[in-house]
Amino acid sequence: MKKLIPDLFKNGTTSMKSIIIIITSVFVFIFEASAAVMVAPTVVFLSAQKRTDRIIVQNPSDKPSEVSIRFSYGLPLTDSLGNIKVELQDSLITDPKSATDWIQAFPRKVIVPAMGSQIIRLVARPPKDLPDGEYWTRIVVSSKETEEAAPASENLDGISTQINLIMQMAIMVKYRTGELVSNLELVDVKANSSDELIKVLLDFNNIGNVSYMGILTGTLFDADGKEISKNRVNLAVYRDMRRCLDFVKPDETYKTPYKVELFITPDGRIDVPPEDMIKGNKISYSVIVE
Amino acid sequence: MNMKRILNLRIGIVLFGLLTILILFTAVSNSFAQEVAVGSATATVLTALAIASSSNIAFGNVYQGIATTIDNTDAAAGIFKVTGQVDAGISLYFQLPEYLSLSDGSSRMTVSFNSTDCSVDTTGADSPTTMNGTKGWLDGDPRSFPGAAQIGSAGTSIYLGGKVTPSLYQAAGSYSGDIILTVSYNGT
Repeated sequence: MKKLIPDLFKNGTTSMKSIIIIITSVFVFIFEASAAVMVAPTVVFLSAQKRTDRIIVQNPSDKPSEVSIRFSYGLPLTDSLGNIKVELQDSLITDPKSATDWIQAFPRKVIVPAMGSQIIRLVARPPKDLPDGEYWTRIVVSSKETEEAAPASENLDGISTQINLIMQMAIMVKYRTGELVSNLELVDVKANSSDELIKVLLDFNNIGNVSYMGILTGTLFDADGKEISKNRVNLAVYRDMRRCLDFVKPDETYKTPYKVELFITPDGRIDVPPEDMIKGNKISYSVIVE
Repeated sequence: MNMKRILNLRIGIVLFGLLTILILFTAVSNSFAQEVAVGSATATVLTALAIASSSNIAFGNVYQGIATTIDNTDAAAGIFKVTGQVDAGISLYFQLPEYLSLSDGSSRMTVSFNSTDCSVDTTGADSPTTMNGTKGWLDGDPRSFPGAAQIGSAGTSIYLGGKVTPSLYQAAGSYSGDIILTVSYNGT
C-alpha cells in the first residue's frame, strides 16, 4: 500500500483506515499566466501530537517563480458595517494567542520551476506549559517571476518602465493543545432595509478556546412565509466579530414585513478536513426586517 | 548425448526460473489485491488558493514631462486573477509603490494610484475592457477593497490602473517598481 500512496500525501500516522487527504489542483487557468502561484491546503492544523506538516506550492505558469516564505499575524477583523478584512502584522505582535514566533518553515526561499511544485515543511516549537486552546499565525507565500531587467527603451535617451507583480497568499496555521472547546454566542442581530438592500448585522462572541468555524445561512421570507432568497457564508470567529448578510430587496409582489431566518452550524464545511473540525454549537434565530 | 542432457538441463532451469517468477508475481499481485480490498479509505478533496497575473500594467516608454495614465478598464491595465473555493470570502490587499527607480537607485519617477484605479470582476473574465458595474465592483480604491469580496465560479479578476509622471528633467533609463497583492481566505 505504501507504494500506492505517493509520499507527497503521506502522513506519518496515516493508515488504510485513516483519512487520506488528497490535495488536488482543480484550477484551469483560462488565460496564459505570466506569473502564478498556487498553495494547498488553505488552512493548516498542527497540534501537540502533530507538530509538523507540509504545504504544497505550485507554479502553474510557464516561467520560473521565486517563492519566499514568512510568517505574519492576522485575524479576520470586521468594521461597524460588518465588512471583513485580514490585516497582516509582521512585528510587535503582543497577542498571547500568536504562534508567529514559534512556528517555522523550511525552505524559506526557493525557485519553483515552470509547471513545478515545492513542498514547504512546517514545524511547531511551542513554549512549555502553553495553556489549553488554539494558537494562530499565517504563513505568507510570496511569489514573483525571477528577476528581469526593465526593458531598455528603443531610444538610448528614452525612459522605459517595468512593474514587477508580486503575489502573496496568507494561509492560516492553527496550533492546538489540551482540551479544546468551540462555542459561539450570538450577541445581537439587527435587520434593516434600504432602497436596494436588506442588511442583516450579526454580532458574535467566541466563548470557546478555539476559533469557531462553521457556516452562516440566512433565508429571507415574506409575510406569508414564502422563501424569497438565501445567502450563505463561511464563518470563522476568533474573538468578537460583526458579520453582514446582504439580500437584494424583493419587488412589491412580496408582502411585508419580511423575516430573516438565521442558522449557524459547524456542519458542511467542505474546505476543512472533518478530523480537523472542532465542532461547536448550532444557533437558530429569526429577525423581522425593520 | 552429453550435449542433449546439458540442453535439457538448461531448458529445465529456464522453465523453473519462469515458473518461479510467475509464482512470485502472482503472490505479489495477490498481496496488493488483498491490501486494497481489505482497506477502506476516505478521501477529502481540498481546494487550493491561487493567484496569477496575466498582464502587467504597461506604461511602456514614456517621455520627460508627459504623464502617462492607464485606466483600470484599459487593455493595458494590470490583471490579477484569484481562484479557489467558489463563493469563499477573500480579503485582498495591495501594497503600491510611490516611485519607480533606476536599478542603481540614482533616479526616481513618481507613480500614483488614485481612489478609482481598481475594479474587481467576480466573473473572472480577465477582460478589463468589458468590465462594468454589473460584474462586480467598478472603479474602486485599490487601497480599500470591498469587505464582501468573493471568489466567483470562474475566479475573480482584479484590474489595476495607474499613472506615471516623469519630470521635465527625468534621467533616461529603465525604471522599475514592485506591486504586491496579498490574498487570504477570511472564512478559515
